[in-house]
Amino acid sequence: MRLHTALAALFALLTVAPVTIAQTLPQTPGPKNAITDVPGIEVGHYTATNGAGGMTGTTAIIVRGGATAGVTQRGGAPGTRETDLLRSEKAVGTAHAVVLSGGSAYGLAAADGVTTCLEGQGIGMPVANGAIVPIVPSAILFDPGRCAPFNFRPDASFGMSACRAATNGPVQMGNVGAGAGARSGGNKGGIGTASAVLPNGVVVGAIVAVNSAGRTFDATTGDFFAGYTQAGSDAAVRTAQATPEADREELLRATTIAVVATNARLTKAQANKMAQMADDGLARAIRPAHGIGDGDTVFALATGTVTAAPNITQIGGAAADALSRAIIRALLAADGIHTGTCNVSSYCELFPQRCSR
Amino acid sequence: MRLGRSRAVVLLWLALVTASAWAQGPAPGPHNAITDVPGISVGHFTGGDAGTTVVLAMSPTGQGVGGGVTQRGGSPGTRETDLMRPDNLVEAMNAIVLSGGSAYGLAAASGVMRCLEDRGIGFPVGGGNVVPIVPAAVSFDRATCGRPAASRPDFTAGLQACVAASSGAVEQGSVGAGTGAVSGGVKGGIGSASVVLPNGIIVGALVSVNSEGTAYDDDGELRAASLELGHEFSALTKAGGHRHRVPPSLPGGPLRSGTNAVVATNVQLTKSQATKIAEMADDGISRAISPAHTAGDGDTLFVLGTAQLAMATLGDDNAVVTQIGTAAANAVSRAIVHALLSAKSSSCQPSYCDAFPSACRNRR
Repeated sequence: MRLHTALAALFALLTVAPVTIAQTLPQTPGPKNAITDVPGIEVGHYTATNGAGGMTGTTAIIVRGGATAGVTQRGGAPGTRETDLLRSEKAVGTAHAVVLSGGSAYGLAAADGVTTCLEGQGIGMPVANGAIVPIVPSAILFDPGRCAPFNFRPDASFGMSACRAATNGPVQMGNVGAGAGARSGGNKGGIGTASAVLPNGVVVGAIVAVNSAGRTFDATTGDFFAGYTQAGSDAAVRTAQATPEADREELLRATTIAVVATNARLTKAQANKMAQMADDGLARAIRPAHGIGDGDTVFALATGTVTAAPNITQIGGAAADALSRAIIRALLAADGIHTGTCNVSSYCELFPQRCSR
Repeated sequence: MRLGRSRAVVLLWLALVTASAWAQGPAPGPHNAITDVPGISVGHFTGGDAGTTVVLAMSPTGQGVGGGVTQRGGSPGTRETDLMRPDNLVEAMNAIVLSGGSAYGLAAASGVMRCLEDRGIGFPVGGGNVVPIVPAAVSFDRATCGRPAASRPDFTAGLQACVAASSGAVEQGSVGAGTGAVSGGVKGGIGSASVVLPNGIIVGALVSVNSEGTAYDDDGELRAASLELGHEFSALTKAGGHRHRVPPSLPGGPLRSGTNAVVATNVQLTKSQATKIAEMADDGISRAISPAHTAGDGDTLFVLGTAQLAMATLGDDNAVVTQIGTAAANAVSRAIVHALLSAKSSSCQPSYCDAFPSACRNRR
């Protein structure tokens, strides 16, 4: 009897414990290598430039059919909205968009524009009395005052424009949208995106606005900290040396914000777990991460078209690696700005041999 | 006014109780409102179907103040609550916005930010620039007789509420964030209350009552009526049991309702202390409304400490936090009673006093 029980337990362990937990690198990207490879996810950017090197903007990630959503918020200086609603025990489990924006807390206004835009398209949660309420969580990053007056910042119209520009096509990276004015460890930051198609047909995607106090690469060699996620990376060729220390970013002057998405069907609690695991991809790619002046916030969206029982560890792990890759791609896509007194170098200006664009 | 003998005795007794309370026990401040806390001012913007209420807070040195939040309803609509967690950087809040308009109403906080930026108020980020710290919570306006709301608070509503803010008496009832509020089956609204403790601590509360549950029991008695300080409920009497039909409550559901509140005290608070006080103050909602914190309620409560008094001058930190939290819970309950007694009947919801006239027969 005892032996029988032990054998049964062993058998259960062997059959239940998924052998597919181990993550295979490099990941297999989808056709666009973008978060829009997840069916139902659209991305729209709105970018403003002031002609003197100042840039800011808003990126709207739209999911018209609604997605089960979660969030993790680990940076010390966040600017957020509707994150309480995303907690697992709250009644509403669906989000219709996530808005990433520059402008510090002022940039939260961009989410108002996305909310109005979606209402105009009839997208939202039915409440009562004929009203619909789009659920639009949002997080912002600090970019005001960089080569621009302090009040050069996104408002509701930025959100409206980003929402209207949203498509499921390729996603522009670099100095656009929420990443337009972003910086990373003293160099130019920006928007990056990546996707991974898992063997069982589950698709995972990530989009990130990298605006970190910490660096993403070894200042001497140019090796990305999360370079192991890349296929066949070239040997390091040192051509320049980045400033050994990042610019001393002041309080509130950083923040990396991201969205990961999957077509798997997740509960809200699982979506929150996916966000938590994805956040590890941020930690691996940026050092230090989640500092007291960083607002680091990661949202997760699950569109649920793949109805098979999800392997949340596999999905969360893949989302972490996709987010790491998106961060590297943001740095590779960013352009330096050299306009008058406004000077910020890109990774590719520092290490041109490592950039094939 | 002719008074029966027994009623005169009761009034005399009440007067004595009131006088003795003034002499030795806790009593409401002069406005019996959150503005009795120095450094606090309140502004309403009242639209057709919905509105916005802002609570501005300033320390004696002109800075923002320590704050905390608790968010226990199941359908919240919030802004900047992550920032208020004690492990996060920013320690000082400049204003709290309560608004109607559901998630759309979060836009009002942007208007308050503009208003404060124009005054140079906010978290300094270098170069003389500021980012005003303006957490917010919203709820859905239900006093529209089943129609969609004709208006909802926007950027301008927040701006105007901020410009209108004053440290004087606080208008209650169907104003500001309480414009479209319904509490169970009667008209909800804004209520406020304060208490001055013998050791000089002042605690005030402002509540926007828009609850799925009721603030009255099956006999129509207000659940928190017994917490009256002095004569503040103006001769509230028994509702009279089943002589009056209890009005049917509006149906609940996700994002349908929410009782949002702000508590303020003149004591300097860390974020952790303010968070603890928020948790205790939230019990004031639980005692005054049942059920509270439902899946459809947004119920979010903020705490602000305007730092007129240093914690160290008052005694043991934990004892003071408990004292403030206890007073805050009662002030929140009392503010909820004030909200129901102040609200006027709308086309589809009777006021509490119109639903239960025998409870209000002696009120001025």
